[in-house]
Amino acid sequence: MSSSKSNKIVKLESSDNKTFEVEEAVAVQSETLKNMVDDGCANDTIPLPNVNGKILEMVLGWCKKHVDETVTGDELNKYEADFLDLDQADLYGLLMAANFLNVKGLLDRVLQRVADMIKGKKPEEIRRIFNIKNDFTPEEEEEIRLENAWAFD
Amino acid sequence: MGQSSSAFGAPTEFNRPSNRFNFRTSAIVSAFEPNEEVVDAAEAEFLESVVVGRDCTADLPDECLASIFHFLGSGDRKQCSLVCQRWLRVDGQNRHRLSLKAQAEILSFLPSLFIRFDSVTKLALRCDRKSISINDDALELISIQCRSLTRLKLRGCRELTDEGVAEFAKNCKGLKKLSAGSCMFGARAMNAILDHCTALEELSVKRLRGLNDAAEPIGPGAAASSLKSICLKELINGQCFGPLIIGSKKLRSLKLIRCLGEWDKVLDMLGNFNTGLIEIHLERVQVSDVGLCAISNCSNMEILHILKIPECTNFGLTCVADRCKLLRKLHIDGWRTNRIGDEGLMAIAKQCPNLQELCLIGMNPTSLGLAPIASNCVKLERLAVCGSATIGDTEIACIATKCVALKKLCIKGCPISDAGVETLAWGCPNLVKVKVKKCRGVSSEIVEWLRERRGSLVVILDACESEPLDGSGSEIGVHESGIEFPPIGNQVADASSSGNGRLAMFRTKLGFFAGRNFVACTFRRWSNNDDSFSGDL
Repeated sequence: MSSSKSNKIVKLESSDNKTFEVEEAVAVQSETLKNMVDDGCANDTIPLPNVNGKILEMVLGWCKKHVDETVTGDELNKYEADFLDLDQADLYGLLMAANFLNVKGLLDRVLQRVADMIKGKKPEEIRRIFNIKNDFTPEEEEEIRLENAWAFD
Repeated sequence: MGQSSSAFGAPTEFNRPSNRFNFRTSAIVSAFEPNEEVVDAAEAEFLESVVVGRDCTADLPDECLASIFHFLGSGDRKQCSLVCQRWLRVDGQNRHRLSLKAQAEILSFLPSLFIRFDSVTKLALRCDRKSISINDDALELISIQCRSLTRLKLRGCRELTDEGVAEFAKNCKGLKKLSAGSCMFGARAMNAILDHCTALEELSVKRLRGLNDAAEPIGPGAAASSLKSICLKELINGQCFGPLIIGSKKLRSLKLIRCLGEWDKVLDMLGNFNTGLIEIHLERVQVSDVGLCAISNCSNMEILHILKIPECTNFGLTCVADRCKLLRKLHIDGWRTNRIGDEGLMAIAKQCPNLQELCLIGMNPTSLGLAPIASNCVKLERLAVCGSATIGDTEIACIATKCVALKKLCIKGCPISDAGVETLAWGCPNLVKVKVKKCRGVSSEIVEWLRERRGSLVVILDACESEPLDGSGSEIGVHESGIEFPPIGNQVADASSSGNGRLAMFRTKLGFFAGRNFVACTFRRWSNNDDSFSGDL
């Protein structure tokens, strides 16, 4: 990174028209934004119509925390653990934003969090948690169960 | 990961395509906001959705859903496949690893299974002893459906023949790793694999009944130019792999475990013609100092295991030490024959400054051998000593004062006492974990005391008489899985097998497993973990 870029600010606009200004070092935690910066597309405000202000603020908070050198390992662990204490709506919003913005560490954490909601559960319980309708016929379900029996756990 | 054009399984009325990144938006329980003009409708929809209970995952792109599944094990994924049509599809299309019960009756399910799981690259086919396994037709069907297979593991598929494996090889030319155990095919199957699967990197073979004394030579074959790792276990005529071992010029790892017959000749050829090896494991095979001196030609050798090989002595180990100065990990199980001891260790201390991991089992080293190791091997991080009558408090004190880099220490079945453990409070500044097992002279009080003195040090004291070892088996890795470990009690009985033990060893049937040592297992677990952290070879 050349020194002329070191204090550069990146401007982002959420879907609900909130603007955020962050240092480039923070922004490039997102691979998506990093590519834009590298391609020279980050000079004006970058619109993010896929991410609302609340979620974008969260993501940028995460990124800021991870470039802050004064934060200790333990503090970071606690931050990450508390970060994911969200309601479901925010969780999926965060997941999609982290996926779209490609913030690897955050994305893995959120994926793990959602996976943990599924672990050890039966299909009926999973459907309840995620509000999913069972669109199998009983015959289809039986067929899948028979197939599944051939796979090891 | 990153931007994705998503294809949703269940379209809803909010299917609005046209934002810049082709990302479907939905107003309801997601963070994605609608345009101004439909805000009110969105509000209403939101309230309604809470009542109706809308699918929370509907907005996640398939790619995200697949990523969630990757954090789940096979059992959980099976449950996910029963949730709804979309989850079934996403799971099936993104399942790269599959482990199937390879009984004959699976044949009728195979077509639909591989339509559902159309992205499998790593496949395991396991058949238990009581059932009839899949036959050649089934394997051919699988090979046609999974042409891009990179890994195949076969266990107990006794109905597969040389011809069946050959047909498989012709269809799955991209295979990189083959692990075959307890099957009936033989050398012709192996040669077919080596001829067709030209990208093969790892070959692991255990108890192939078809490899009898009349077996044709195996290799080099077309795969010889890519093969990096060979593991042979419990073969009657493993020597038929000789041409492959010598002809695979990229070979980095060779493991010979409980294979009958003498191996000095093969190792001699190796030492003359293929010296690029980095890792050699020899366990319960007939190898003498001649073989050890031959492999000492592999000057890049970093990892060496000499386990329960009575014909290897200090002389052979010294030969290795003199010429393999890059040695990083050394495991020796002397099987209480006292052929390897202080003299060999002194040679290692003198010539192998890179030593990181040392595991000594069934040997009787003293300070004469240990002190130089402690002083000269300044990178020594992991040390384990087991079943040694000569390791006492003096030796522990010596380790404590001199092993500056030591992180992990394991002492088992040695005559140490509280006095020795006490010295660990002040020595080994980098020590992270200590295990003391079956050392009767060590009390739980001293262990408590040590924990208090050094807060960050993990100290484990285990005085159990008989330890279940199957837990560690699963953490060791592919080669060691499936072995049954007898209780520790049997290990002490091994002491009676000295000198003449060799003949007795080869007379017993190949199913004789006694003697896998818990210390070595622990060690493998430690060093595997360490490797993953340090990014080592």
